[in-house]
Amino acid sequence: MTARGAQGNEVVGPLGPTYPAISFETRMDSVEFRVHERPHIVVDDTICRDCSVRGCITACPANLFIPTSDGGILFNYEQCFECGTCYLVCNEEGAISWSYPEGGHGVVFHSS
Amino acid sequence: MSEASIAACVKWVDLHPGVDPATALPEPSAHSWGFSEADRAALEVALRLAEARGTEAVVVCAGPLEARRCLAELAASGPARAVLVEHDHQSGPGTSGVVLAGVLGPRHLDVDLVVCGDMSNGRGSGSVPAVVAHHLGFAQALGLIELDPGPGTLRAVRRLDGARREVVSVDGPAVLSVEGSVAALRRAPLGAATSAAMTSEAVEVVRTDPHHAPERPTRVVPWRPPPRAVPAPHEADAFSRIVALTGAMADHSPPRSVEGTPEMAAELILEQLRTWGYLARDGEQT
Amino acid sequence: MTETTEFDAVVVGAGPAGAAAAFELARAGRSVALVERGPFPGSKNMYGGVVYGRILDTLIPRWWEEMPVQRWVTRRQTMLMTGHQALTIDYRTDTWGRPPYNGATAYRPDFDSWLADKAVQQGATLLCSTTVTGLLVEGGRTVGVRTDRPDGDLRAGVVIAADGVNSFLAKEAGLYGEVSADNYTVGVKETIALPREVIDERFAVRGDHGVDIEIIGCTGEVPGGGFLYTNADTVAVGLVLSLPALAAGGSRPEELLAALKAHPAVAPLVEGGEVKEYSAHVIPEAGYDMMPELVGDGLLVAGDAAAMCLAAGVWLEGVNFAIGSGAAAGRAAHAALRSGDTTAAGLAGYRTRLESSFVLADHRKLREAPHLVMGDLAQRQLPGLACDVAEAVFQVTNPDPKPGLVRIARKQIARHGLKLPTVARETIRALRAYG
Ligand SMILES: Cc1cc2nc3c(=O)[nH]c(=O)nc-3n(C[C@H](O)[C@H](O)[C@H](O)COP(=O)(O)OP(=O)(O)OC[C@H]3O[C@@H](n4cnc5c(N)ncnc54)[C@H](O)[C@@H]3O)c2cc1C
Ligand code: SF4
Ligand code: SF4
Repeated sequence: MTARGAQGNEVVGPLGPTYPAISFETRMDSVEFRVHERPHIVVDDTICRDCSVRGCITACPANLFIPTSDGGILFNYEQCFECGTCYLVCNEEGAISWSYPEGGHGVVFHSS
Repeated sequence: MSEASIAACVKWVDLHPGVDPATALPEPSAHSWGFSEADRAALEVALRLAEARGTEAVVVCAGPLEARRCLAELAASGPARAVLVEHDHQSGPGTSGVVLAGVLGPRHLDVDLVVCGDMSNGRGSGSVPAVVAHHLGFAQALGLIELDPGPGTLRAVRRLDGARREVVSVDGPAVLSVEGSVAALRRAPLGAATSAAMTSEAVEVVRTDPHHAPERPTRVVPWRPPPRAVPAPHEADAFSRIVALTGAMADHSPPRSVEGTPEMAAELILEQLRTWGYLARDGEQT
Repeated sequence: MTETTEFDAVVVGAGPAGAAAAFELARAGRSVALVERGPFPGSKNMYGGVVYGRILDTLIPRWWEEMPVQRWVTRRQTMLMTGHQALTIDYRTDTWGRPPYNGATAYRPDFDSWLADKAVQQGATLLCSTTVTGLLVEGGRTVGVRTDRPDGDLRAGVVIAADGVNSFLAKEAGLYGEVSADNYTVGVKETIALPREVIDERFAVRGDHGVDIEIIGCTGEVPGGGFLYTNADTVAVGLVLSLPALAAGGSRPEELLAALKAHPAVAPLVEGGEVKEYSAHVIPEAGYDMMPELVGDGLLVAGDAAAMCLAAGVWLEGVNFAIGSGAAAGRAAHAALRSGDTTAAGLAGYRTRLESSFVLADHRKLREAPHLVMGDLAQRQLPGLACDVAEAVFQVTNPDPKPGLVRIARKQIARHGLKLPTVARETIRALRAYG
């Protein structure tokens, strides 16, 4: 399949260009997050430096795990779906401390 | 119960009104009604002030009866009393301030400090703090971004235009309005939250007399946008000149969404401003 | 102010499982707290889009008159897809558009809020914006939960964990064995706004009737599936993706979703719409084989928390299983409270109730199905083979004469690198699994 979209370039299907893909930022802007000041997920990226799989990078639907040039992981919890994908795919014990945000905070869906 | 002397005024609003992307019409949300961060900060400030001064705090909301449950949940975080003043916001700009002042004044709650959120999400006129202060004859300290709730004279920092700040000290009766960042509302303890979830009875409901429609603020001044010089039309007859001036027959470009790099977006915005005449084109005099 | 922090039962999670459990307990006259971490029920929940409502008959008579429905599904399609082809089986019946109906599309924030409100009407106490952080355990027995509120301990005779797929409560109680990413998929979805009339035209439906499409073969190298559902004035299009394969790298979820939206069979359906909401959620995929112990001392587990979601290709059903198991948990908890024995033995009636209902019967019967659907044959070979056979049958090859069906099948099976005995064996296995 030829489509791309994460970077916001045009989606080209087998029928030719169909419609402009939305950028990842626009995609995430469609979601409401009631951000709490305490991060509910903390990534210890000293452990990530020894990780060969780094599954979180492609699997996190919110694209919150960003590899840094020095082999670490940059993580920000603010636009998190609280889905659980990251701790399930992470194979390094202790890299991710995962909990739910304080009651009333975090993602709020409206039309899903 | 001793007289409450510090009140927080909060407005029940749609925290997440939707916009239908297909029609661009606003859609009220079904589940997202509540109180804005600024209003929640106002309640926290009222609670801290009351603790520091050894008095009681009361939370007051002018709004429809449906707000009672949300107000009960909000009140679980600590104020001694919660009062819902039944009021329809559609009654006109400034009317909420008037009914609130009626309840806060000497004949009812008799408070001497009122704390409001500086801005509501409810697209109101923003006049409540000023109208309340006017009717109660209180001083105003509005748009506060920092506040020391300690005992004695109250010192606070106010936001002014152009990133300037003003330090104010407040003595005696006053209306304060605070930004959401001033304080985070404490969480309701489990027992109080559970009780509030079971019944909203703790919220007193005050009905304003429908026969005494709230008095409107005396002078309503319309908002005037800053002027922009428009060249005189050169058409021959009056009709064409009016058409040219009002742009009535001109094509209006519908709103459009564009995506691109920040540089591209900036260039598009500048170009649009030039098209509208807000910016000079290169080599052109404004 | 009077303060209550003790109940007959505490139900954690106001999803469909929790709401049904609280409903049954309250209806039986028990004091019950329904604790939800979101600001309102459903605020944390997303799914594909169809609720099968018949299970509600036992709770709410004539539920269809008040349930917040987007559209009633009267047209159901299964689509097998390759990069450029699609073969669709299309079933429609207007019977599903009349009481008692079959499936309905609905938004979870609306549906879950409605169902939780039904429990409240029966007398349950709904406590939102409150995260349960752990179990209160005394002498090896669950006696309540801890919450993240000040003075936040909530005591109860029975705790029902209906806290969804990640169920930290069931894990804390040691009811789960080893948790492996292999048993989970993640669902991503776009809710796309389109005018009502455009949806009616594109999907050939009228009024409050709608369409449900399940798609296989649309997830590239990642095992999974896709779906497309019509709401009143949005369509929901999404993917369900195997976690280990996604983590192995290659494609990101939104890239695969963009590819699906650009497919010639899907693009004309979603074109021009604006994304109204993007969402993601994990699904317990492995069904019966990943279920935890369902009962502990003072503790029951229901819904996704007990992996009761049925994800078996043409079926993606979890809400009905959640309601069925939640209601059974509520009844079992009431019975145990009445007999004064809320140990695991006293609560054992829960499992018996589930075994005699569709919840465990379906899961046991379809035990193999999730593995089959995520297996190589269904994922890699079936869509291409089916599409190529269809193409060979429908393509007119004049002046050559038409090939016979058997020859087409033989040829395509060989072309796809398959052997006839393998196909026969797998077909029999599939027939058994879905028997
Ligand atoms: C992409 C996708 C598509 C799906 N499509 C369909 C479909 O079309 N039809 C269908 O029937 N099913 C579908 N399902 C499955 C269905 O969504 C689930 O099976 C169902 O929601 C399970 O209900 P539940 O009540 O067990 O759990 P949930 O609905 O997950 O509810 C759990 C609740 O518990 C709350 N909670 C969790 N932890 C805590 C805590 N510690 N404290 C307080 N509250 C807590 C959560 O906020 C949540 O409200 C789909 C699922 C996904 C992900
Ligand atoms: S998979 Fe885990 S250890 Fe590896 S990079 Fe991601 S978070 Fe770090
Ligand atoms: S919980 Fe889900 S959305 Fe949040 S960081 Fe983990 S994978 Fe990403």
